[in-house]
Amino acid sequence: MTAIVEERQETIKEIVTDILEIDPDEVTETSLFKEEHDADSLRAIEILAALEKEFNVVINQSELGRMVNLKGVYQVVSEAAGW
Amino acid sequence: MHDVPTRRVVITGLGSVSSIGVGTAEFLTGLRSGKSAAKPITAFDTEGFEHAIACEIVDFDPTRWIQNLDVQTLGRASQFSVSAARMAVADAGLGTRELRDAPCLVSIGTTDGESRDLDHLVEAEVRQGPEQMDATIARRVPAGRLSAAIAEEFGLRRVEAVTLPTACAAGNYAIGYGFDAIRSGDVEYALCGGADALCRKTFTGFYRLGTIAPERCQPFDIDRKGILTGEGAGVLMMESLDSALARGARIYAEVLGYGLNCDAHHPVAPNQDSVARCMQLALDNAGVKPAEVDFISAHGTGTKANDVTEASAIRQVFGDERPPRTVSIKSMIGHSMGAASALAAIGCALALTEGFIPPTINHVHTDPECGLDCVPNQAIEADLKVVQNNGLAFGGNNAVVILGKWEQDRTEAPA
Repeated sequence: MTAIVEERQETIKEIVTDILEIDPDEVTETSLFKEEHDADSLRAIEILAALEKEFNVVINQSELGRMVNLKGVYQVVSEAAGW
Repeated sequence: MHDVPTRRVVITGLGSVSSIGVGTAEFLTGLRSGKSAAKPITAFDTEGFEHAIACEIVDFDPTRWIQNLDVQTLGRASQFSVSAARMAVADAGLGTRELRDAPCLVSIGTTDGESRDLDHLVEAEVRQGPEQMDATIARRVPAGRLSAAIAEEFGLRRVEAVTLPTACAAGNYAIGYGFDAIRSGDVEYALCGGADALCRKTFTGFYRLGTIAPERCQPFDIDRKGILTGEGAGVLMMESLDSALARGARIYAEVLGYGLNCDAHHPVAPNQDSVARCMQLALDNAGVKPAEVDFISAHGTGTKANDVTEASAIRQVFGDERPPRTVSIKSMIGHSMGAASALAAIGCALALTEGFIPPTINHVHTDPECGLDCVPNQAIEADLKVVQNNGLAFGGNNAVVILGKWEQDRTEAPA
């Protein structure tokens, strides 16, 4: 894995754990925000908005359905940013 | 609570500042004809938004209504509230001196206070630095101004002026407070309602939530896409029935009761059981059976979540078989936030007096999940006795007001 990819993943993880108010150790690539970390639709929008700002991209709200865990978020942001 | 005889409360004056008409006669014409106020926003720069339609008031001149205060010292929402109060007092045929000498309540609900001014102050701070923020604008910001300015405009001396910040249900909260104050004999006159001005902050917030419709507001429609933000003020003059009769005042409607609750279930999602409980509280407070309600003026924002939840709560209380007709005037005037339930209450009072039910416009196909007769597109004539006005706000703040047609013979029935 290249350094840049790792850095991006780390930034995304920071944003998500900060908004969900959870310890970074609690979240894995595939742990589910809603079911395992008490997220709701409003938190999901907060995450989406923070990602748009951080990476200067536009993410359609219809993508929220895929943004259920860190893996899904990374995929969606990659596509939006053309990484 | 009921061991002392309570006074009956009636509405004798209406003040309407709405995007389908400034002035109650104009508002009534708009409601009857199903007018839409939707148009491109001019209140602020909308660059960067894919769509920016709202229900803005474009023909408002505060100096036409406000007599004593310098309009420059009032933010837009306060200009609306003071103007609507002026209209309500004039409509009630009440002299300023009578008002000054009597114990009064002014209660005005709001979502945003003077957030339009805050938009501008923050913009100045960010672009030019805090020292460039305009002092006159800064002094207009406190939300207490929305009600205090009304007391100032009339020079009221024996008044409690309160601004209620219970968001999108705040107008009904303000009416409920006035109902209690008059019923208990604490005050003789109450000017109650709500006010809000279109602002960038609120538009952006709702836009970010994905709840702003691109073109039009379509409550209870299967293809509804969300709200349109709006603005305005509604102020109702309320007094005891005895006072109104003694003055020979025109009575628009009687306030039969109201209900409030707050479930704090979720920041933005409405809770069906809690909304149903609030409607039941209001009906019980008013001493009205569900079957007696002739129509419901819904909160009806036009979002997916609100309309299906509210409709389900209505069926929970009123039964699946024949729930009352349920309309949303937000289809015409958008969501005027703190003013919404106040303007809707005025709509209800006018409906009782004039004998019609305002339509839900922009309606194509009723969402079967809502399953209500929303009086699509065309107002209908109807002889109405009891109407219900719903206001549901973020945070689970619900407020429901029940109004009844005032009839002479009802006053002779035993209390």
